Order: sequence, then structure tokens, then C-alpha cells
Amino acid sequence: MALVEAEGVHVRFGDRVVLEEINLSVNEGELHGIMGPNGAGKTTFFNTLTGRVKPNRGRIRLNGEDVAGLSPHAIARKGLARSFQIMTLFNDFTAQENVMVALPAYRARGFDVRRAVAGDASFSDEANEVLASVGLAGKAGISAKLLSYGERRALEIAVALAQRPRVLCLDEPTSGLGTDGTLRLAELIGSLKGKLTIVAVEHDMRFLFSLADRISVIHWGQVVARGTPRELQENAWVKRSNLGSFG
Amino acid sequence: MAPASGAPLIALQNLQKVYTRGLIARQQTFKLEADLTIDGPGIVGVVGPNGAGKTTLFEMMTGSNAPTSGRVLVAGTDIHRVKYAERDRLAIHYHQSYQVRRFRKLVPSIFLAPSPVERPVVHLFDEPQFNTQDGYIGFMLDFFRKLRAEGRLVILCLHPTASYHLEILNEIAERFLLVAGGTVTDLSDFKSLVAEERMRTYLGPEMTRAAEALI
Repeated sequence: MALVEAEGVHVRFGDRVVLEEINLSVNEGELHGIMGPNGAGKTTFFNTLTGRVKPNRGRIRLNGEDVAGLSPHAIARKGLARSFQIMTLFNDFTAQENVMVALPAYRARGFDVRRAVAGDASFSDEANEVLASVGLAGKAGISAKLLSYGERRALEIAVALAQRPRVLCLDEPTSGLGTDGTLRLAELIGSLKGKLTIVAVEHDMRFLFSLADRISVIHWGQVVARGTPRELQENAWVKRSNLGSFG
Repeated sequence: MAPASGAPLIALQNLQKVYTRGLIARQQTFKLEADLTIDGPGIVGVVGPNGAGKTTLFEMMTGSNAPTSGRVLVAGTDIHRVKYAERDRLAIHYHQSYQVRRFRKLVPSIFLAPSPVERPVVHLFDEPQFNTQDGYIGFMLDFFRKLRAEGRLVILCLHPTASYHLEILNEIAERFLLVAGGTVTDLSDFKSLVAEERMRTYLGPEMTRAAEALI
């Protein structure tokens, strides 16, 4: 069953049509890749999905409920967490603290960070568990600013996972990562696959073709192609390109 | 779906655009004329040298640049009499942001009509970036076919600078518009396009040979 659905999503910025009409659905437990060339509308669609951009028309359904136009935090509360292309971590906090402040139970009791850090072991245990799930088990006590770029990317995913989302949305997760970092991230995302629904906007096709269950290709503000990586590779022009040998 | 009004999807009626220079002694610097009709859905290739007026033609077809005289009817509606913000519901111009030119809006929107349709009937792709390495070409061409199957008119402008551009035109376009020398010539297939002397001059000897090899 479709957990996330976009139907006829149209977004314009002034005179410019950015999303003409996006229709796509993401099944529960699926890793759905969204790819497309620069300026195709991927990030605008991502921002519409996560509530930062309000569509001029169309619907976004999360578990059957129309969430188009709701604020980002209202959408997050309904179970959709996101990462950003530009990392948004608290640099002076440790990895553990970054994750802890995202835990729903922690947020429910307020933002007195000092007291919480000093006093409550259950939060730190839970945060450590999330950190371990992204391969940062030994980095709990290190400030975010001292982590490597790849580790910071993993920490950002940990922050999103700490919210216990049903849908994890990743915006260009490999951006800024080298070959090694991308491989490690692919492993991490591969390990999350099936445990929750993932929507990943990504320009690195090799990355998506090896990981995604299904892919929607966005161009000119529309879904111009969709299918499994194998189905997309059937196309004669795709076979002629670098893409033909991926997967 | 596209409207089933029975009107041609696009009709350029005695369309003329003239650019002039100088206030008192006006000097004509550019002139483009077009008079043609495309009835049903299809995929049309547009080619022509730089400065011939392809972009001006597209701007007139999508309603952003008003013709000096004549009319553009999209599915029977004069697009230049539709509210500015709704013209892209009839005909949409996909281009790179650096290609966008803005024009003065002379008639207030309140005096203009709403678009009769929600989704564009005519889709104009102005020199999309085709790259054989990334594989997107295949997705783009299939998308053009999908739009056509939905009853829409796809107009694709391409500068053939590599032989695969000619392959794309030959594969996808069912008819061609050659924009050159101030006029728009309607050609029924790739063979007649390549036979046109102005097209051969524009392509140059090497690309002309590549084009002939595809026939």
C-alpha cells in the first residue's frame, strides 16, 4: 500500500513553473529514489513533500491523509523526517546530544539540555542505540564539529532516525562525500532498507541504481520515467550510456 | 487530457514579429514570419541557425512575446488574449533560466480571459541538454512520446552540434520546422529537412554527411 502519495502537485515561483505536475507513490517499506538533472525540480518536490513549500495545487498524502500545505513540524509529527543537503547539526554538541535532542521523549520534556545530559541515562542509552545503528557507536562523546564529513552525514541521518519516523526523506545524501564516504553511506542506507520507508533525492545514479527498489526520474517539473532500476535500464539510450552498466 | 475542441492544436495565422532600432528613423533589425497549422498531436523538431528567431517564435507561441501582427491560436484560443499567469496552462516553454526574457505586459490581466484548460496542450522544449553519458535522453524521449499519446503537441528545438542530436531528431520528430532567413518552413519528414539547402548550409558538410547517413 502507498504510504506517501503525490497527486497533481503543481508549484510555481512567480511567473515560473517549477513543478508542472508530479504524480508518484511510495509503498510502505520501499526505498524510493528520485533522480533528475540539475534544475529539474527534485529539491522543490522534496521541500513540498516535507512542508517547506506549499503547492499551488495538488495533494500530498501521508498514510492516506492530505498533508499538503501543513507546516514542516506538523508533517514531521505525522512521521516524516528529513535530512538536508546542507548539514544542520549543533556543532558544539556531542554526537550523542545531537541525537538526544531529537528523541520524541526528550523533546516532550522540554529543552533543558544541561539537566538532561547530566541526569537521565535512559535518553543517552536510546541515543547511543541510534548512533550504533548508523555506525557511530564509538563517537557518542565527540563534538559534531570534530567529526569527519562522512560521519557528520551519518549523524544527520541518526538525528532524523531519532524521531522514529515512518518515512525517512534524504536530500542528496551523497553530496560532498568522496568515493569512500559514498560507499559507507550506501552500506548504512542499505542496512536501513526494509526497516522503514525511505525517499532519497539523489543525483548520483550509481548510488540510486544499486540501492533503490523503484526510481522516479524528475525532469521539467514532472515525472518523466519511473520503474525499478532494471526496468529503467531497458531503455536503448540508457543502455548506450554509463547508466546501462549500473546496479 | 487535452481538450477535444476539434480546433488545431496550434495555428500561427499570418504571424509576424519585427524588431526595429532608432526612434525617428526606424530601422528594421529583425523580421520573422510564420503561417502554419498543426492539427493533431505530434512531435515536431525545430531547427535553424542562431539568431534566426527560434526563441522568438517559441515566445510568441507560448504568449510571452507579443507578435507585431497576426495571431497564435492554441487549441482554438488566442494565447495572447489569455491572462498572463495562465498562458502556460495552454502552452508551456521549458528552457534554461538564462534563456528567459521578460517582456512588458501591456494589457492589464483583468481585461484578459482565463485559460480554458488546466494542463498545457503544447509543450515546447527549447534546447534541452542531451548528454549521451547520463542516460537521461532515453527518459526524455519516452516522455515526449507519452505526452503525444495523451493528445498533446511536443515541439523540440535542437541545435545539432553532434551526430547523436541528428539521431534524436530522426528518431523522435514526425515533422520539422526550419527557421531560417526570416521564415518558418514546414517540412514533412527528416529526409525533406536534410534535402533543404538552407539546412545543409546550417549543418555544414560534416554534419550534413552524418544526417544523410541516417536516411
